[in-house]
This record gives sequence, structure tokens and C-alpha cells, in this order.
Amino acid sequence: MGLHSAQGIVLRRFNLSEKDKLVTFLTDRYGKIKAVAKSARMAKSRFGAALEPLSVVQLIYFGRENQTLYRLNQAEIDHSFQSLREDPCKIYSAAYFIELTDSLIPEGHPEPQVFRLLKETLETLQNNKFNAILVRLFELRLMAVLGYTPQLTHCLACKKEPEPGWVGFSYNRRGILCQPCTSKLQPGTRFQQGILIYLKKMLTLDLKNSNRLKLPKGMEDEIETVTHRLILSHSGRELKSYPFIKALSGNL
Amino acid sequence: MKRPVPVTDLIEELKRLPGIGQKTAERLSFFIMRGPAERAKKLAQAIRDVQEKIVLCSSCHGITDENPCLICKNPERDSTQICVVEEPHDVYVMENLGEYRGVYHVLMGVISPLDGIGPADLTIEALKERVQQDKVKEVILATNPDMEGESTAVYISKFLKSLNVKVTRIARGLPVGAEIEYADSVTLIKSLEGRTEM
Ligand SMILES: [Zn+2]
Ligand SMILES: [Zn+2]
Repeated sequence: MGLHSAQGIVLRRFNLSEKDKLVTFLTDRYGKIKAVAKSARMAKSRFGAALEPLSVVQLIYFGRENQTLYRLNQAEIDHSFQSLREDPCKIYSAAYFIELTDSLIPEGHPEPQVFRLLKETLETLQNNKFNAILVRLFELRLMAVLGYTPQLTHCLACKKEPEPGWVGFSYNRRGILCQPCTSKLQPGTRFQQGILIYLKKMLTLDLKNSNRLKLPKGMEDEIETVTHRLILSHSGRELKSYPFIKALSGNL
Repeated sequence: MKRPVPVTDLIEELKRLPGIGQKTAERLSFFIMRGPAERAKKLAQAIRDVQEKIVLCSSCHGITDENPCLICKNPERDSTQICVVEEPHDVYVMENLGEYRGVYHVLMGVISPLDGIGPADLTIEALKERVQQDKVKEVILATNPDMEGESTAVYISKFLKSLNVKVTRIARGLPVGAEIEYADSVTLIKSLEGRTEM
């Protein structure tokens, strides 16, 4: 039994009844949690705009031991990310980031690195002109902080550094395969080694500088395929918000 | 002992309704069973009528038993002012005010990436056609002031930009009767942005 306080990012909210909402937060200290916000649907609710997705809020919530559903006592906005909601390209990317986080993170397990990654990514999205590279970065870095960094220097099978030219890449085993080994192990795709340089850069680049990373023409699509299929190999399904990022950035 | 089939059938059907669980469904079905036959018949008829007679207005997509609906057909209504709402029931909420003299356009939902609902799933294309055909002067965006409603409003305003039409958004801010001291920052900023001259 106890009262908890944490900073949290709103991932989702559902209407639980005519008055109440059920809100999913990713918190800095306790990982993903779900809490019932009493009377949050009423126009004069004390929670105001604090329970809208993307908001970063200071939370106080109450829960009993061995219970997964908490009761929200207080939520004060630290950071609303309001400007993201007013830009169609940005809101779709932001929706994808929170959907991805929500679907890959189990409840009740501390994930401070994921929290930091999501918050920094949203800040970068807010402070810069929209750039699709941020979506790729988030996908790759999320896999990395979840412990699924792809092996990009040595062949997964023979552990040797690949010869120059193309390499194979396995999505299920998450890493590269040298040319001889692709005859034994079927790669998910193959690409020129130049791509590896950029993937390695993306694993270490400071997110705030993501706009400075310029991909050579024609490489954007290939990198998109790699990072997104890595995500799919882990999530097992396409995310609902993903198709809209592309559709919308072409439209407006 | 098992219940007679007609009773379990009724309970099962009632349970499909939103907010109705086993207990409530049982209570309702016993109420219907024990009540006068005339009342049960009226209920059955009303449900059938709603299914058979109610259609979507081909112009505004509101629910109606005449197409076009009474609002679209009414020559006293200003067809150059369109109020855009998310759902058919929002039309009635606005109509109950008795203040608005323009017409409506129901989106049949709201852009919601987290639910996989995009602009193509809504009636936005039809709205654009109406604006062009009916020489519309003002489009009032009355979607909810939440994440989905807000991004839908932004999308529509960009979508209509090339047309010569004024696009307005309903004011967002403090609810009447609220206290500034307890308002959150987003609401307060919206209140400031939406201030009006006195
Ligand atoms: Zn090898
Ligand atoms: Zn109509």
C-alpha cells in the first residue's frame, strides 16, 4: 500500500465510464503504469489538460500491493508539447513514438532509459523542423535500450569482419552476415556496407543533433526498411499509427 | 435450472449494448417480461424503426429520417456557414442551444493515429466539395479540444487553405465557473489566446 510520486509521460487514455478515464503513463521511476482518474471526463475536472497523450506530468498516485491498477490523485503539467499537436507531421510521429513505447514495454517494470529516450525524442521533435530521420533514430535507439542492439561490425555466424562489398542482414537474429555465410543462413535483406556506417552513427548520435545527420540520396528508404523491420521483428505486428506518417508527410 | 431460451436470448442481446453487464441485462429483461405487453411491443417497434427509418443525410452526414435532413432543407438556415462536428449526436448538443443558425457537417469520427483512423476514413473530402459548391463563407471547427480533435482541426484548416473560406475554431479555455488558480497551463494559455474584446 502506498502513495507514489513520479514524472510521467501520458501514453494513452480511455474513457472508463461516463465520468472516469483510465490513463497509461510511462514514468521515470516505476516504468509503465495504469491509473484511474476519477471524474476526469467532466468539463471542470481538476486534471484539466494534464491527461492528454504526450503531456509530461508530475504524478501522485495511490495503489495497493499486488494491484496493477492505481488511482490518480494529482497530475500537474511540466511540459504539454502543445505545439506538436498543431503540426500534422509532428503529431503523427509523436503518436507513433508513444504507440511503439506502449506496445513494447510491459507494465510495472522500471525503464528509466526508455523514459529518457522518449522524452528527449519528443523535445527534439518539438524544437526542430520535422525530419523523418528522427523516426528512424527512435526505432533504432528503442531497440538498443531494450537490449536488442543489432550486431553491425562482425558477422553473426562466423564472427569475422565482412569483406568489402555487400553484406547480408538478418532481422530475426539482428545483425549482419558476411557474404560466404549468407549461403548457409538466409538473410532478411542485403545491402552495401556504406549503410552500416550510418546505422552505427545513429546508435551513438546525440538526439538533439539529429537534424545534422544527412543521409545520401537513396539511402533513406533502405535505412527506413532496416530500422522499421527491426521493430516489426520484435513487436510482431504493424503499428496503427505508422502508415499515417508517410501518407501525411506526402499530403501537406 | 436453465432459463428458457427466449429469456437468455434477450439477456444476451441486451449485454451487447454499451455499459450493460450481466446483472443489468438480467434486471432489464425481467422488467420487460413482467411489464405490460403493449410496452414491450412499443420498445421492439422503436428499435426496428430506428434501424429501418434512420439514414445519414447525404449533405451533412447527420442522422435523419428524411434526406436531406430538416436542417439542410430549411431555407431559414444559413447554408454559407458550416459547423463541423465529430459525431451525429454533437449536432443535437449544438441544436439544443437554439443559438446557431448555420448548417452542420458531421465528420463521422476524428483523426486518431493511435486507433488507425486517418483523414480518408472521415467525411473531409465531402466537406471540401460542399465548401466549393455552396459558396460557403465560414467553416467553424467544433471538434473536441483534445489531442485527436485538435489535430483534426489543424488538418482540416490546412486542407481548406486553398479555398477562399474563413476557417474558425471554437474557443478553448476555462470552463465557465472554474477558478484560474486551479487551471492547468495549457488551458490558461488557450484562454489567453482566445481572449475577446469587451
Ligand atoms: Zn560470416
Ligand atoms: Zn443534413
